[in-house]
Amino acid sequence: MNASVWAGTKLVLLKEFRQGMRFKASWAAMLMFALTTLSCVSLALQGAALSPKLAAALLWVILFFASMVGADRVFLDEEAAGTLLALRVYGGSQPVLFGKMLYTYLVLLAMGLFILPLFLMLLAGNVAEPSLLVLTTALGLLGVAAAGTLVAALTIGSAVHGGLFSILMLPVILPVFLPAISLTAGALGGEAGSFSYLGGLALYDMILMVGASLLFDYLWYEE
Amino acid sequence: MLAVLSVLTLAIIGVVFFVVPPAEGLGYYVRIAFFHIPVAWVSVLAFLVSAFYGAKYLKEPKRHYDRLSANSAGLGLVFVILATLSGAVFSKLTWGAYWNWDPRQTTIFVLLLIYGAYLTLRAAMPDEKRRARVSAVYALLSFLTVPFLVFIIPRLYFSLHPSPVLNAGGHIDMDPVMLWTLLAALVDMTGIYCYFLKRYVKKAEDGKEGEAIHE
Repeated sequence: MNASVWAGTKLVLLKEFRQGMRFKASWAAMLMFALTTLSCVSLALQGAALSPKLAAALLWVILFFASMVGADRVFLDEEAAGTLLALRVYGGSQPVLFGKMLYTYLVLLAMGLFILPLFLMLLAGNVAEPSLLVLTTALGLLGVAAAGTLVAALTIGSAVHGGLFSILMLPVILPVFLPAISLTAGALGGEAGSFSYLGGLALYDMILMVGASLLFDYLWYEE
Repeated sequence: MLAVLSVLTLAIIGVVFFVVPPAEGLGYYVRIAFFHIPVAWVSVLAFLVSAFYGAKYLKEPKRHYDRLSANSAGLGLVFVILATLSGAVFSKLTWGAYWNWDPRQTTIFVLLLIYGAYLTLRAAMPDEKRRARVSAVYALLSFLTVPFLVFIIPRLYFSLHPSPVLNAGGHIDMDPVMLWTLLAALVDMTGIYCYFLKRYVKKAEDGKEGEAIHE
């Protein structure tokens, strides 16, 4: 990434933070959604013991759907506020993409940081390998942020919004979802997942970022 | 072209029902394979064609490329549904359950999700140019997942699926009559796909857009 792209990325990130502080709805909705689904699962189970595999699957279902609530706003808010055109005129494609991706990632990390301790308290009990759990969550959410930013850009101008984002995300995010569940189950004390999955997860995150970077130009510059 | 395909299809049906011997361990259930393998092959092929013309559209925005990409995905959805259903029936007859998330069932299901998502995205986009561009980008993005899923899924799920005709050893364990019938069925099904793709794209270009799957 050259210097001007990085400088632009920082500016877009800063703009996103300012906007996020002004309109708290999108990230507040994501946190509340995560909390609601977690408490819903916990209440329904009434303290029943969960196997590590089941707990890992529930955690990722919560993380996936909560991210779907927040990450799809990244371009829609601009479209609704009428600022998208200004951003198109003044912002190059790559700084806009990476600035928004980084912002989404930080918001998702905050959501993960908020929901993981609660999840462990309410559902999972003890963790066999905490560092593996944290690393898996960080890598998994990076993939969601990378794919989510591009897919959010795809839905600009669509007539339907509710649900479209999750429908488009699921097939793209499955290579993150499946190994992340397996690794999380290992971290929660289940059958130790293969560590090669961590490498695979990081590699797929990279591919998603490179793919998003290559494809985003076609969405940003329209003739 | 239609006449040739009809004759070939009838000939294959005849051979499958009257000439092909029952397979070891599968009996006459093997007949389903002569339908199932070709439709599964075409559902993958249609996805490749759709992504290929999506990429061509992004390089050179001609409506023709978008029509090829969209109609290939529309046909692909039909074929992937047929592959899923015939696979589920075969699975019930031989393993006793319609669905058990076998690696290949999972892979074909992901393909079904991708087609569904692609066509939903097209349906949700009112602007024609943006629809073409956005769906081409999505076809290419979802194409990135395929190699990963092919690598990950077989490690996560246990398989009962019969091994492919061209297996890891590289040699073909199949009765020659069966093999030739299967090859003919593959050619036939690919021909049927090409015929309908051409027909729908031509209809869309002639302006009879209501009759094409996707204009």
